[in-house]
Amino acid sequence: MAAGIKIEKLSFSYTPGKEVLKSVSLDILPGEKFGIVGPSGSGKSTLLLHLNGILTGEGKIRIGEIPVAKSTLSEIRRLVGLVFQNPDDQLFNPTVEEDVAFGPLNFGMAPEEVKDRVRETLESLKLNGFEKLTPHQLSQGERQRVALATVLSIRPGIIAFDEPFSSLDPSMVIQLMEIISSLDSTLVITSQLVLPVIALCDRMAILKNGRIIACGPPKQLARDTQLMKSSGLDLSFYRDMCRELWK
Amino acid sequence: MRHDLADRYSHLDSPVHRLDPRIKIIAALAGILIIVSEPRYGEPIPFLFYSSVVIIVAAFSKVPPVYILKRLLIVSPFILMAAFFYPLSVYLSKSEFFLENRQIIISAGLTILFKSFLSVIILIILGSTEKLHRLLHALRKLKMPSLITTISALLYRYVFLIADEALKTSRARESRTPGHIRTGRIKAMGNQVAVIFLRSWERSQFIYKSMLSRGFKGEFPDMEISRLGLTDIVFSGLFIILLLLIRIFL
Repeated sequence: MAAGIKIEKLSFSYTPGKEVLKSVSLDILPGEKFGIVGPSGSGKSTLLLHLNGILTGEGKIRIGEIPVAKSTLSEIRRLVGLVFQNPDDQLFNPTVEEDVAFGPLNFGMAPEEVKDRVRETLESLKLNGFEKLTPHQLSQGERQRVALATVLSIRPGIIAFDEPFSSLDPSMVIQLMEIISSLDSTLVITSQLVLPVIALCDRMAILKNGRIIACGPPKQLARDTQLMKSSGLDLSFYRDMCRELWK
Repeated sequence: MRHDLADRYSHLDSPVHRLDPRIKIIAALAGILIIVSEPRYGEPIPFLFYSSVVIIVAAFSKVPPVYILKRLLIVSPFILMAAFFYPLSVYLSKSEFFLENRQIIISAGLTILFKSFLSVIILIILGSTEKLHRLLHALRKLKMPSLITTISALLYRYVFLIADEALKTSRARESRTPGHIRTGRIKAMGNQVAVIFLRSWERSQFIYKSMLSRGFKGEFPDMEISRLGLTDIVFSGLFIILLLLIRIFL
């Protein structure tokens, strides 16, 4: 079931005195598709890692009614699935089947049920027949889908995507967007590529130097040329290019 | 790159493959113990019989003999060294004693050779007929400390990660260096090793985070359901009994 996220004044630094996140507050509704855009180094991935307790900073995070804390980690990790930027970092088992089964088995599901769960998940992503392949035998797009399958098999209420479009060709971006838009869970998508986020998300936040500088409907924010330029996300080049091409 | 360094033939279907991994580990260890504790030196008959039993099991396993021999070749230098150094050390320390008992001491060296080769062949068959993570899982069920099994499992996974990084950095280096070896190239290779370890470390952090985010609590789960059956006990029992008979009666 989709769950909401409440982040209050979250701050985090990897090294003392160098804050990567500075008092970030966000309220994401259950079932919402929420985008977080910003230039590289703005703290997007760091923010995502806080959602299921891999990193812990100052401030409060609640997933639904559950606070993210050491004592609730198992529950939180069942609720929040993370899809990492590089699928190679996500796929570490010898076969696709074992990788997709890894999460459900860790959460205590019976091996007989896990087999069915793996089959269903792979079918839903049109990956039937991939079970016995090793991740290295797959194309980049296929690996990205398998990485998503490893999270979907847990049936999380929230799925957080870290730069899902960064290494995909245009047709794969569209294919992945279709898959993402069909998901029922609450979605949090971080990206440097603003256009897919505008197309997919109900709301969008702009993160710059660890601070949320704007939050609202994606199209409205994207039309604010000044804001986008100052955030390092200027889209006017693409707009002018498209005008040039189709004038 | 291939990700089946140790368990390349674990997907085959044979009576040995079908055995429960726990009973396979017990049988292999018992077999090694029996062979290693063989007290007779220089008598070829028992070793001929031991070898026959091991060869029969190898044939049942369907693991290609060439593969077993290749694996054996990797450890051969160490075994040969041990077999050769024993008579040599006796000769160097007590040369008169050696000359008087030359036959027995050389036989002892040969016995070390046979015992070691047979033990390694048993381990190769064990490793080739079961996926590594299932063997580790079985070891865990046999009360091996989880720290050891988890470290082994992570080590096995990270070996490929390091190899992947080595391949990528090698391509990057080769694409910008001429073919012949120069001092500069050696320096570049040295730098490459440092980069491989740094990148591997960084990627291992990501992988570990990904494992944590999917509920990893320190032990790798196993999807296969193993149930100890009569066939497992009969097959493994037969293997142990045959070796014991050779050990006691031959």
